[in-house]
Amino acid sequence: MYKYLVAALLFCCGSAMAQQELEIQVELPKIDTGTYHRPYVAVWIENEQQQPVRLVEAWLEKPDWIKDLRRFWRKLGRSEPQLVDAKTGATKGPGSYKVRWDGKDEQGKAVAAGNYVLFVEAAREQGGRNLAKQEFTWDGSAVQIEIKASKELGKIQLTSVQGK
Amino acid sequence: MKKSILASLLVAAAVSAPAFAHTLWVVPSHFVLSKTGSWVSADVSAANMTFVADKGIPVDNVALYTPDGKKQAIEHKYQGKRKSQVDAQLNAEGTYKLELGGPARFGTMYKVGDERKRIMADKKTRAKELPANATDVVTSQSRSRSVAFITVNKPSSEVLALKNEGLEFKSSVHPADIVAGEPVTFTFLVNGKAQAGVELEVSYEGERYRDEAGRIQHKTDATGQFTYTPVEAGVFLIEASYSAKAESELADQIREGLTLTLEAALP
Repeated sequence: MYKYLVAALLFCCGSAMAQQELEIQVELPKIDTGTYHRPYVAVWIENEQQQPVRLVEAWLEKPDWIKDLRRFWRKLGRSEPQLVDAKTGATKGPGSYKVRWDGKDEQGKAVAAGNYVLFVEAAREQGGRNLAKQEFTWDGSAVQIEIKASKELGKIQLTSVQGK
Repeated sequence: MKKSILASLLVAAAVSAPAFAHTLWVVPSHFVLSKTGSWVSADVSAANMTFVADKGIPVDNVALYTPDGKKQAIEHKYQGKRKSQVDAQLNAEGTYKLELGGPARFGTMYKVGDERKRIMADKKTRAKELPANATDVVTSQSRSRSVAFITVNKPSSEVLALKNEGLEFKSSVHPADIVAGEPVTFTFLVNGKAQAGVELEVSYEGERYRDEAGRIQHKTDATGQFTYTPVEAGVFLIEASYSAKAESELADQIREGLTLTLEAALP
């Protein structure tokens, strides 16, 4: 009986996790300033050992300034240039943007159930830098978390959704 | 020519004389860069306060090592009154080392009556320069190095390799991975062996704007180690010094100094 239960649990949650994705809604606030430069932004997932698991997206422009995303540069930028190139899109102005983590690592494998940490880092030329950090449990259960706004980052919402 | 020899002797004397409390440091404009071909400017000064420039010093002994460990000529050098400056373009990926150093120098301290005096002479050459009534004669072999590391893109460790000569260090994380709030263990070595009792002083930028400099004094433990957790992100200095009796034809004691300028990054 117990055996069946374990099997059933594995089956249910394993498949649910494989399909589950994390939608991350990032707001870039409107900042009133004489010279507004669009912020450099990176969104990525680390495991509990602070190792990067998956780069979700990066909005970057000139290489000179990527170092100002201090943690992103240290964890990913400086050592994974090809990955970063592949995930880099144009910088964005104020607005609300949705990006998605497919629950997989860089090798395309679904990650093991456990705790993970979402990082969103933003740095703006002639502006400030903010790092949003949010731990969440990724085991097939629903995720619904809101991170409160900082100066360079508006509020961020994490919502688990069913993948396609 | 004579003048410059005299000047360098004076600096050498200044560097190693105990009465001269100034610390020599090298502080680069950037410790981390994300583009090859970036320029870096470094300030070099002899000063009492950490990173408050006081005296410009000759830049001939400043060397830049590329990530593969070779010396790179420094394009621009300038010796100012308060600080000196070097500028260099970093075209390779990896970790560069900027080092203010120079060969070991010998100095002999002695007394005539109650007056302390000093000559630049080793044990072999001191006899002909010492007055007949000199007492308390001690000859030191002194060497002092100040280093900083600049990393372009991915860190590399060639310039961190130990030479097993004089006072050196290794760290539990690469200098480009020092982060505020995370402990770093430094091991200090003398001639390649971990050394207990190396004297250390840690200081932070901004001393001019604090009543208390907030320096930390420490000594390496029995395994030559010292663990430090930078409280805040910023540039800090570790001054390490070590002296011991020497069994040498040239000196009665050795004195070694190593000054590290490091950056603790934002978490």
